[in-house]
Amino acid sequence: MNQKELKDLIEFLIEKDIAEFELERGDVKVRIKRANAEANPGPEARYVLAAPAQPAAAAVPASPAAPPQSVAALPTAAPAPPAGEQVEESGVHTIRSPIVGTLYEAPSPGAPPFVKVGDTVSVGQVLCIIEAMKLMNEIESDYAGEIVKRYVNNAQPVEYGQPLFAIRPK
Amino acid sequence: MVVVSGTKLAQEIAASRTEVWRLVQRLRRLGVRIAGRPMTGYQIESAPDLLLPEFLRPALKGTIFGEHIHHYFRIGSTNAAAMQAAADGAPNHPSTRKTRTAEDAAPEGSVYVAEEQTAGRGRSGHGWHSARSAGIYCSVILRPRVAPADVLILSLATGLAVRDAVSEVTGMAADLRWPNDLLLGGRKFCGILIEMNAEATRVRHAVVGVGMNVNQESFPPSLEALATSLRMEDANRRCWSRVELAAALLKSLDREYRRLADPAAREEVRRRFEQHSSSAKGRRVHVEEDGGYEGVTDGLDERGFLKVRTDAGVRTVLSGGVREIG
Repeated sequence: MNQKELKDLIEFLIEKDIAEFELERGDVKVRIKRANAEANPGPEARYVLAAPAQPAAAAVPASPAAPPQSVAALPTAAPAPPAGEQVEESGVHTIRSPIVGTLYEAPSPGAPPFVKVGDTVSVGQVLCIIEAMKLMNEIESDYAGEIVKRYVNNAQPVEYGQPLFAIRPK
Repeated sequence: MVVVSGTKLAQEIAASRTEVWRLVQRLRRLGVRIAGRPMTGYQIESAPDLLLPEFLRPALKGTIFGEHIHHYFRIGSTNAAAMQAAADGAPNHPSTRKTRTAEDAAPEGSVYVAEEQTAGRGRSGHGWHSARSAGIYCSVILRPRVAPADVLILSLATGLAVRDAVSEVTGMAADLRWPNDLLLGGRKFCGILIEMNAEATRVRHAVVGVGMNVNQESFPPSLEALATSLRMEDANRRCWSRVELAAALLKSLDREYRRLADPAAREEVRRRFEQHSSSAKGRRVHVEEDGGYEGVTDGLDERGFLKVRTDAGVRTVLSGGVREIG
């Protein structure tokens, strides 16, 4: 998780007025606690980023473990949602783009699309490809369920964090 | 070179002389030149320039690519094999057990290299002409511990790595075409395809695939105007060692990859790309994406995307498919 993503996450928590948040994924652990989230309308928040324990044999360019830090000031106004964001229905999960790029609905032009609205998908199933700089990024589903909405058409550009699909868990 | 009798060979590998003869026939089909001398035995005349792990490994000590090299004489696509292995844990490999995780079975730095591809792949369903033992068809598995967006620069860095390797081995200076095609005399001799599997904040694995034309002497008519090889661009039409080129390529890719997480190196990649790409600035191009448009290239932005000046202002090219015009 980089600084930008962390910032986006915090902004999201402020926007939704969530007081406490914890995420553990792989070797990254993030815990965010907002002091006086309800009592204090001025969003004065603190977060602690647990530095992941890097495997000793990491002979590869690991991103340097970010030192724990605290942020004193955060934007007072809730930030505008990312471009293309739509109101999410409750009970529906949104798959977002992890990178900027061009969306492809099929593995090659003319091939049938990976998925379409109404399909039931499983966790890990490829939903689409986002291409940036000739790097093809397979976007997998984080959820099992039915695709109830697709936000972006084939060969359209997408922004970082833009919603791609809505999935209703089964 | 030594002449070894069929009987001795048969004893050493505990097989019949007929089996030895059959194996020799097979090696000959693979390009090994073996003379058969009726009363004395077999003699190897020349070992082929095959991309065997035994040949590559000594040159790759100290890099992440020296440990797990998988060589295929014939495969559909090295990228497909590497992507599959990275996700599933190398189902086609005999050493794989169901209980092993994908990361154990196909660790970072695993190399998939082939003499021939029957379904070589390029961007958006384009094929890659992959004649037997004439080119280098090589894919590697990486598991970068950076955010997906920070992996993009690898696309430019891989092109630079190939350029360095070619320059080191052949002395030829390739021209880069954004984001990572490599050209000599205006024609393409190397293409790169990177495939990635990532969550929102974490990259599970990325596969970097390189297809390089090395010793081809000609191409089918449909590719003649677009494609070239290192041999065809050499004044003396020399045949280059693919082993030497592949090793140089993996070494320079290792170098570029280690610096991926360093923001200063990223800036440097951008600068070097602009320096070695004649088309990065001031060239009239057609851009395929977003319905197609034309403009003049204007260098790279801070993320490494190509900028194109159009009548309606500067636009950013996200994917690939940039073609020079008139």
